[in-house]
Amino acid sequence: MSIEVSGVTKRFGDFVALDDVTVSIPTGQLTALLGPSGGGKSTLLRIIAGLDRADSGTIEIEGVEATRLPPQKRNVGFVFQHYAVFKHMSVAKNVAFGLEIRKRPKAEVVQRVDDLLKLVHLSQFSHRLPAQLSGGQRQRMALARALAVEPKVLLLDEPFGALDAKVRKELRDWLRRLHDEVHVTTVFVTHDQEEALEVADEIVVINEGRVEQIGTPEQLYDEPANDFVMGFLGEVTHLGGLRVRPHDIDVDRSPVQDGAVRGTVTRLLRIGFEVRATVTTGTGEEVTVVMTRTHARTTGLEQGATVFLTPTAGAMTAPVLAG
Amino acid sequence: MIWFSLLVLLPLAAVVAAASQGGWSGYWSALQNDQTWAAVRLTVTQAVLVTLVNIVLGTVIAWVLVRDRFWGKSVLDVIIDVPFALPTIVAGLVLLSLYGQNSPIGIEWANTERAVTLALAFVTLPFIVRTVQPVLEELDTDVEEAAASLGASRATIFRRIILPSLAPAIAAGAALSFARAISEYGSLVLLSGNRPFETEVVSVRVLTFIENGSNTSAAVVASVMLAVALFVIVALDLVQRRVARRW
Amino acid sequence: MVRTSLPTRWLLRVLAVAYVFFLVAWPVGLLVRRTFEGGFANLADALADPQVTGALNLTLVVAFYAVVINLVFGVTIAVLLVRYEFPGKRVLSALIDLPLSVSPVVVGLALLLVYNGRDGFLGSALEENGVQVIFSSPGMIMATCFVALPLIIREVVPVLHEIGDDQEQAARSLGANARQTFWRITLPSIKWAVVYGVVLSLARSIGEFGAVKIVSGNITGRTQTATLVVEAKYQNFQQPEAYAVSFLLVMVSVACLVAVAILRPQREQ
Repeated sequence: MSIEVSGVTKRFGDFVALDDVTVSIPTGQLTALLGPSGGGKSTLLRIIAGLDRADSGTIEIEGVEATRLPPQKRNVGFVFQHYAVFKHMSVAKNVAFGLEIRKRPKAEVVQRVDDLLKLVHLSQFSHRLPAQLSGGQRQRMALARALAVEPKVLLLDEPFGALDAKVRKELRDWLRRLHDEVHVTTVFVTHDQEEALEVADEIVVINEGRVEQIGTPEQLYDEPANDFVMGFLGEVTHLGGLRVRPHDIDVDRSPVQDGAVRGTVTRLLRIGFEVRATVTTGTGEEVTVVMTRTHARTTGLEQGATVFLTPTAGAMTAPVLAG
Repeated sequence: MIWFSLLVLLPLAAVVAAASQGGWSGYWSALQNDQTWAAVRLTVTQAVLVTLVNIVLGTVIAWVLVRDRFWGKSVLDVIIDVPFALPTIVAGLVLLSLYGQNSPIGIEWANTERAVTLALAFVTLPFIVRTVQPVLEELDTDVEEAAASLGASRATIFRRIILPSLAPAIAAGAALSFARAISEYGSLVLLSGNRPFETEVVSVRVLTFIENGSNTSAAVVASVMLAVALFVIVALDLVQRRVARRW
Repeated sequence: MVRTSLPTRWLLRVLAVAYVFFLVAWPVGLLVRRTFEGGFANLADALADPQVTGALNLTLVVAFYAVVINLVFGVTIAVLLVRYEFPGKRVLSALIDLPLSVSPVVVGLALLLVYNGRDGFLGSALEENGVQVIFSSPGMIMATCFVALPLIIREVVPVLHEIGDDQEQAARSLGANARQTFWRITLPSIKWAVVYGVVLSLARSIGEFGAVKIVSGNITGRTQTATLVVEAKYQNFQQPEAYAVSFLLVMVSVACLVAVAILRPQREQ
C-alpha cells in the first residue's frame, strides 16, 4: 500500500471536516476521492500532502511515517484546482522549479523539463508566461511541474474543476492515458461522479467527514453500500416502494410482467439520443424512466400513453427509507 | 479641461518658462550654487536612505498586517494612515515632542541630519505599506503551497515566489515614497532648523529663493524637482503596464 | 497554509509594531499630552486668541471651497477618463497624479508665477479687473485644489472601471438621457467612492501648508490658515497654543481616518 491514512480527524472550529478516517491507497493506481462539496475530501488530500495538519491520526507514505513531516519533505506532487502557477516565471521555469530547489545539474534540468513538456504537449510554449496559456494548458503545465520532481505520489485537488465542460472531458481522457504511461500513484479529488467512474481504478466515497465506501467503479455502481452512495453515483427514482436507477426500468404497453405498476406518461423529454419520461402512477408517485430514442419509438412511448413499469431483472434495487 | 489647464498645466509651464529665462548658462549657474548643491545632495541622500528603510520595513509591516494575527492589529492598520492625514507642519511638531528638546527618551535629533531622516520616514511611511498590502492580500496561498510541495523552504518561497510577486508593488511604493521625500517641506520646517549646508533641503531652498524675490532661481530648482516628479510618474506608469501584461 | 516559524513571526511583529510606535504613535500621543498639560487651559487660551479663531475660520472656508470644486471637477474628469476616448487621454491620466509627487513649494511657486498681480501671466490682467488671486483667498483655494486634485479622481476611476457601462447602456436603452443616466445610475453606484474621496480631500485641504504658505503671503489675521498659525505660534515661543491648534488638526485627521475606516467596509459590500 502506498498511502496509509489511519484514524485521521480534523476540525475547523466546531465543524468536523474529517471524522476518524482510515483509508489505504494502493500503489500505482489512480484513486478518486469522490463526494459532495464540503464533505472533507479536499481536506484529506491536503493532510496527505502536509498542507494541513490532522488533529489526530497518522499518515504513512510509501512506508515512511509522515504525520509530522512538513510538505517540503514528503516528496508528493500537488496539483491545485486554480493551477497555482508561478506567474512571473516562464512555463519552462515553472516546471524546472522543483528540480532547481533540489540543485540538480543544469543539463539534467533542461533535459527533464524538455521531456515533461513533450509529455504534456506544451513544448512550443516553453518560453511563454502562464498568463498567455489557456486554463487547460496551465493545468497541464502544473501537472508537469508536479511530476518533475518524481514524486512518490501525485495528488490532484479538483484538477479540472475550473475548466469548461469540453476541456474537462479532454483532460480527463488525457489524464487516464498519462497515468497509464507514468504509473505514479495518483489520488485525485472530484465531486463529479462521472469523472470518477470514468477515470479511476478505485473510488473512495467521502461524505460528511466519513468514508462511505471504497471499491472499483463497477462495485460502487452495482453494489452501493448504502443509499448515499447509490444516490451519489447515479440517478435514482422511486418505483413501488423501491429505489431503482431510471434506466433499469422496463416499460411495456400491456401488463406482461408480474407486479408491473400502471401509470400514465405525463411528460416526455428528448435530450439527444436519450428520452426521459415522467410516469405518474395510480398512487400519484412520479417515476423517472430513461431509454434510448429507438427503444422509446418501438415501445410507442408518447405523452398520455398508459404504460406498465417493472424493475429490470437483475437490476440493483433498494427499499425506500421512511421519511 | 480648461480648469485643469489653468490650475495645473499653465502654472507648471510657467515654472519651466521662468527657469529658462537666464538661458542654459543661467540655469547651470543657479544649480551650481554651493548652497543649492548641498541641499540637493542632502535631499537625494536622505530620500534614498528613507526609501530603502521603507522598502524593508514597509514590506515587513504590510506582511504583518496581512499574514499575522494579534491583538491590536487593527489599531496598527489605522495608525499607518496617520501620516497621510496629518498636516505636515503638525507632523513636524509631533516628532519634535519625542525627538526634540527635553525628549523623554533622551534623543535630541532636532536640527540635525537625523531630523531630516525622521521627518521623511514619517511622511512616507504609508506608501509602500499601502501599495504592498493589497497585493499581498490577493496573493493566492496555493501558489506558496505548490512551492512547498515541490520542496522549497520558507526562505526560498519568500525569495522566489512571494518577493517577485510583490516587486512591482514595492517598486511603485518606493517611487512614490522617493518622490514624496524629495519634495517634502512642511514637516521639516520646525524639525530640521533649515541650517544651510547641513539640514536645508531643496524645498526649503526654493522657498528661501521665493522669499528673497529671486523667482528665477527658485524656478530653476523647482523645474528640476518637477522633472523628478514627472520621471517617477512615467516610471510608475511603465511598471503598472508591465504588471498588467502578466495577468 | 505555509506556516512561518514562530520566532520569525514574533521578530517581524515586534519590528513592525516598534517602528510604527516610535515613529507615529508615541510622538502623536506626546502631542496630545502636552496639549492637556495644564488641563483645558491651553485649548481655551488658543480658542480665545482672535489670530487662532480667524485662522481656523479661514481654513474651513478655503477647505470647503476647495473640496466642492474638486468634487465637481474630480467626478467630471473621472467620468471623462473612463467613459470617453479622446486624444491625450493617457497623458492626462498620468498628469492627474502629478500633484501627488510635486512638492507643495513648487505648486506654490507655479501659481505665484502665473497669478501674481505684478508680472504674473494672468495675474496682472485679473488684478486690473479687481480680482486678486495671490495673497488672497482665491489663490489659497487654487493651491489647495491643486494638491488635493487627484484624491477624488483616484477613488472614483477604479470604481467606474469595475461597474462597467452595462447599467448605463441599459438606462439609455430605456430612454434615459445623459443627465438622467448620470444622476440615477452612475452617481448612486460611485457614491461611496466619492464620499471616500471627499473625506481624503478634506483632510488634505485642511492640512495643506507649503503651497498655501507661498500663495497666501502668510499675513497674520488675514491669510493665515491653521497650519500657518501652528508654525507662527511655535516660532514665537507660544508653544502651548501651537500644541493646542495642532491637537485640533490631529482631531480632524483622526476623524477623517475613522470616517474612512467606517466607510470602507460599506464600499466593499
